[in-house]
Amino acid sequence: MRALLSRIASTETSPATDVAGALRPPSPRRLHGAMRYWLLIMPALLLMLAFYLYPIGRVLWISVTEPKPGLDNFALLATSASIHKMLVTTARISILTTVITLVLAYLVAYTLVHSGERGKRWMLLGVIVPLWISVLVRAFAWFILLRREGLINNVLIASGIIDSPLSLIWNETGVVIGMVHYMLPFGILPIYANMNDIDQRCVAAARGLGATRGAAFRKVFLPLSMPGVIGAGILVFVFSLGFFVTPALLGGGKTLMIAEYIKVQILEIVRWGVGTMLAATLLVVIGLLLAILGRIIDLRKLFGSV
Amino acid sequence: MTDRKTALDKTALVISRRKLLAGAALIAAPALLRTDLALAETRKDVVLVNFGGAAMKAFDEAYVQPFAAQGGRIVLDGSGALNGKILTMVQSGNVTWDICDGGITTLAELNPRNALEKIDYGIVDKTKVPAEFAYENGVVNYMFSSVMAWDTAKVKDTPTLADFFDLKKYPGRRMMRKDSQAMMELCLIADGVPLDKLYPLDTKRAFEKMATIKKELLYWNSGAESQSLMRDGECVMGLLWHTRANVLKAETKGRIAYSFKDGLLQPGLWVVPKGNPAGAEAFRAIASMQQPEGQVKLLAAMGNGPANPAAQSLVPADLRQTNPGDPANVAVQAKINAAWYIENHSKTFQAYLDFISS
Repeated sequence: MRALLSRIASTETSPATDVAGALRPPSPRRLHGAMRYWLLIMPALLLMLAFYLYPIGRVLWISVTEPKPGLDNFALLATSASIHKMLVTTARISILTTVITLVLAYLVAYTLVHSGERGKRWMLLGVIVPLWISVLVRAFAWFILLRREGLINNVLIASGIIDSPLSLIWNETGVVIGMVHYMLPFGILPIYANMNDIDQRCVAAARGLGATRGAAFRKVFLPLSMPGVIGAGILVFVFSLGFFVTPALLGGGKTLMIAEYIKVQILEIVRWGVGTMLAATLLVVIGLLLAILGRIIDLRKLFGSV
Repeated sequence: MTDRKTALDKTALVISRRKLLAGAALIAAPALLRTDLALAETRKDVVLVNFGGAAMKAFDEAYVQPFAAQGGRIVLDGSGALNGKILTMVQSGNVTWDICDGGITTLAELNPRNALEKIDYGIVDKTKVPAEFAYENGVVNYMFSSVMAWDTAKVKDTPTLADFFDLKKYPGRRMMRKDSQAMMELCLIADGVPLDKLYPLDTKRAFEKMATIKKELLYWNSGAESQSLMRDGECVMGLLWHTRANVLKAETKGRIAYSFKDGLLQPGLWVVPKGNPAGAEAFRAIASMQQPEGQVKLLAAMGNGPANPAAQSLVPADLRQTNPGDPANVAVQAKINAAWYIENHSKTFQAYLDFISS
C-alpha cells in the first residue's frame, strides 16, 4: 500500500498502464501479446489465491459454521446491543477522523501545489517521514504531549489560558487526535496527486472572466479537486475502521472499536463465530465503499496509474 | 595459482581433520558424562511458552537449568500463549507447544472446547501445591495477587479498598484492569462482601459499585501500561498485579505504595495443549519445576509467589512481605474460584467491556 501511495505522490506514468492495457478485450491480432502478459502475472495471481483468498475464505467459512451452522452470528448484527454500540463508536470515530483529516489534508495539499519546487520537496518529505514512524511510538509521543501533566496542559496553565488541565487523552478526543495524525499522509497524497493534475489555467481563465478569487476557487478549483477528496476520504475512512493500537492506547481503555472487539472474540474469549462474522462484515462494508468509489472516480488513477 | 590451490587444499584438510576430532569429542562427551545415554536420546524437548521479557532469563535460571541437570530439556518461547492461539494449534492438529503459562481464564475457555490435556498427577506431585489450585487440566505454577496501589504524594495515610470508591475522601483518577477477572471481586470486597463469601459473584452489584466512580476510571491493558499510569502520576490509585506494584514501589523509592489487604490471590497455571508433541515428558518438566528452590528464585527475580508450600520456609525474610503466598498475606486476601469462571467468564468479560465502553 505504501508503494502505491508513494506512486500517487509522483505524477509520472507507471508501468501498471501496460498491465491495465492487457485487461482490455484484446483485438485478435494482439491476443498473443495479451496472453503473454497474463502468463507474467500468473505467479502473482496464484500466490494471491493460495496465501490470501483461501485463508480468508476459511475465516469467512467459520462465521457461518461456528458454533453451529447457520446465520446466527450474523443475526447478532441486528440483535446484540453490545455489537450495536461498538459499531456506532467505530463509525463515529472513523467519520470524525475522516472529516478532520480531509480538511487538514486539503489545506496542506493546496499549499503544496502552490509552492515552489524546492519548498514542495521539503514539504513532501515532511508529509512522508511520519509514515516511517511506528504507530506505537507515535501513540506514546502523544501521551507525553497530551496527558494531564503533559507539555500542552503545562504550557496552557502556565500562560494562564486555562485553570485546570484539559482532558485531551483517555477519551475519544485523544483517539481522534492520534488517528488524524496517523491518517494525514493518506489524506494529503491522493488530494495532492489530483490537484497536481488540475490545469491552473482554468482558474486563471475564471479570474479573467471576472470571477473573484473566492468564486474562482469555489466554482472551478474545488469541483475539479473533488475526485481527489472523495478518493482520499474513502481511503482514510477504510483505514480508520480497522484501527487498533491508537484507540487501545489513547482511549484509556474506554473506546472499543471493531478491531479490538474482534481481537477479544478471537484470542481471549474464543467466540470465533462472532469474531469472524465481524471480520466478514467489515470486509463487505469496505468492498461496498470501494465499489461506490469506483463509480465516482477512476480507481486506477487514484492508485497511481494513468 | 597452483601453489595457492595446494595451500587451500591443505587448509581444508586440516580443518576437516579438526572437525572430525571435534565431532568425535562431541559424540563421546555425553557418553562419558552420563551413562543413561539411551534414555537421553529418547527424551524429547519440552517447549514452554511464557510472555517473554524478564521472564525469559528468570525462567532459564529457575527452571530450565535444573531440568537440564536432570537430563531433560526445556525450550523457552516468549510469544505468549493466548487462548485463541492454543485453540488454533489444537484444532489444526499442529501443536508445537508443550507447556503454556496460562491462568484461570485459560481453563475457563479451553476446557469446554476439549483443548487441554489432563494433568498427569502420577508424575506431577499434588502434595507440592495448595490443593485448591490443582485442577484437572491445569496446575498452579506460581501465585500472584490483584492488589490496590496508591500514590503517597496524593493519598495521605493508608487507604482501604473502600476508599478506592470514595471520590470525596481521595479525589482523582483511578485505574482498573481491562478485564473483569479480579476486578469484579475487588468491587464486591470494597462493597462489604466478606472475603470467603464472594462466590458466586454478584456481578450486578459489582457493576453498580464500579458505576459510582466510573467517570474517574481508566483501564489498563498490559502490565507495562499499569506501571506507566501510576508512575507518571496519571492516577492516584489503581488495581493492578502485585508484581507490577512491587516494581513501582522500588523504582519510585516508595512514592507508590501497595497492600495485599483485601486483594485477590490467583494462581498462574501450567496447562498442556491437547496432543502436545513431547507427550508425558511435559509432565516430568512440570514436576521438575515444582522444586522449591527454583520457585524462590522466580520470587526474587519477578515477584512470582512460589506455588509449593514447602518453598515458604526458604524465602528470605526481606522477600516475605512481597510474597503473595506468604501465610501473613494469604490471611488478608480472598482466593479465586475457578469453578465460577468456567461457568461465567466469557459473558462476564463481555459485559465488563460493554460497561466500560458505554
